[in-house]
Amino acid sequence: MLRINIKERENWQRKAADFGFKFHTMYGETYWDETAYYQFSLQQIEQDLEDPTVEIHQMCLEVVDKVVQSEQLLEKFQIPADFWQLIADSWKHKQPSLYSRLDFAYHGKGPAKLYENNADTPTSLYESGFWQWLWLEEQVNAAKLPKQSDQFNSLQEKLVHRLAAIAKHYGIEHMHFACCQDTEEDRGTVQYLQDCAKESGLLNDFVFIEDIGLSDCGSFSDLKDNRIETLFKLYPWEFMQREEFGQAIQDAGVNWIEPIWKSVLSNKALMPMLWKMFPNHPNLLAAYFEDELTKARETKLVKKPIFSREGANISIIEQGKTVVQGDGPYGEEGFIYQDFYPLPQFGNNHTLIGSWLVNDQAAGISMREDSSLITQDSSRFLPHICI
Amino acid sequence: MPTDLSKTRSKNTSSEQTASKRSRSINIDSMRKGFSVKPLALGITAIFLSSCGDKEKAEVFTSPEDCTNANPEYAQQCKLAYEEALAEAQRTGPKYNSQRDCESEFGNNQCHAVNNSSGSFFMPFMAGYMLSNLMSPRGYNYQPMFTSYSRYSPYRNRWIGADGYDFGDYRRRSMHVSKDSFKPKPTVNKTMKRGGFGSSVRAKSSWGSSSKKGGWGG
Repeated sequence: MLRINIKERENWQRKAADFGFKFHTMYGETYWDETAYYQFSLQQIEQDLEDPTVEIHQMCLEVVDKVVQSEQLLEKFQIPADFWQLIADSWKHKQPSLYSRLDFAYHGKGPAKLYENNADTPTSLYESGFWQWLWLEEQVNAAKLPKQSDQFNSLQEKLVHRLAAIAKHYGIEHMHFACCQDTEEDRGTVQYLQDCAKESGLLNDFVFIEDIGLSDCGSFSDLKDNRIETLFKLYPWEFMQREEFGQAIQDAGVNWIEPIWKSVLSNKALMPMLWKMFPNHPNLLAAYFEDELTKARETKLVKKPIFSREGANISIIEQGKTVVQGDGPYGEEGFIYQDFYPLPQFGNNHTLIGSWLVNDQAAGISMREDSSLITQDSSRFLPHICI
Repeated sequence: MPTDLSKTRSKNTSSEQTASKRSRSINIDSMRKGFSVKPLALGITAIFLSSCGDKEKAEVFTSPEDCTNANPEYAQQCKLAYEEALAEAQRTGPKYNSQRDCESEFGNNQCHAVNNSSGSFFMPFMAGYMLSNLMSPRGYNYQPMFTSYSRYSPYRNRWIGADGYDFGDYRRRSMHVSKDSFKPKPTVNKTMKRGGFGSSVRAKSSWGSSSKKGGWGG
């Protein structure tokens, strides 16, 4: 695993505009960074990232199976009781999932360690599935990279395929897609999924989360009063369950993507639960619920809110003292504690690997760098190759 | 397309030479956006670019007479289809709580009040109807069409289906459309309320300055 400098493609910004990739620079700071790339060996990719990704996903599904059957655990996962039955039913009916992203700390050798599972609303999908793919294609064509350069990235192909499979499962030909207003990044991610849906032969419509309506017959509607039958929502289940329309979910008859059983996975309580069920698994870090912290033997721990996004509210605790304090709006639902395991450093950059799953298949990786140990929304995205 | 190739690949080293870990081909042109597209306009792409083999020729008429002029020997079908489209318009067309909302989308004096079992509301007048297979012994397909005269609306001077699909410039009367365009649209009688999702975002976005992005992906 190497970090190698390379010349940027000329005019890539204009090309980005052509393709509607609008968030490559955000708030005046670089987000898409092609001044360097990461290089992996095939063995690193397959043995250290691809295989563990598939295995961990299966372990996560075992956690879901256990949690949905236990009121005590559902409570620990801070899932409102009104949704327990719905979640159990959704799991029992095997409602199909689309995608997830596992975040790993990996040093190029030894086991990759799982930080968390973004199973409900992962982003950076477009830049992973399409934009870095295009970067490789063009750099190889321009002879800036060796001909045999490959990339661990079958995301787009798998997404197209999976969306068609989900449509077949529900017997539908149309999907709605939604995200919140005022965020170009989320809108871009959802537009990408709409493009994939189009590619798989599906009709699609977009609606902002805030514009979703509730009709007199109990169904959700878009701004044109069309009934929402199937909805991909880039909006967390834990928010929806606590909002006004949450109570209408049960009767709205929507095919949800992601399905509601994913509430169990996109939840940091997953981490201590995995550690309990698969103790000392080489890809897991020791993790504890707040009430079992006395069991922890580790001297340095990371404290994470049960629900959080983009590194907010994450603290690092050493010998019982908080040494790094991250602020943010999260934490009211409690915290979990995870063994401190640093990200690898390349120069001043701390590098996190996102490993994608489409349903249960490993589908590629994305590289993010941050100047801080905690990967935040200020991080940059870099392409990778494997040789 | 086979989905499990990656597995075969990683286990089968003899094929490593040609095996690839990345998407084999991406239709790059289909990923181009050119100009920023309004969400509504996506309907065009979906209908006109998907499933090329599955299209049929359709025509839009503004009245039964308009239809009869083009198809003199089918006057009866023209009239019947018009009436059916009118009924369909009432069932599936866009509905608004107030005349003002409706007119801001469709233009002044372009809306009428409707009363039925689920209440009273305002709808745009049907501006035309789309017909295909008029001469087919198996029967014709029809859909109501709307258009907007409001300069504030993306529907302005476009043919719009009951579900908001944009069928293009309203001067265009003949088009090739996906067969799906003629499928009956699901009915929502009336949207009672909006804005029941998204409040957590407003609450959490107001926090601190380091949350630069409004997004809720992870």
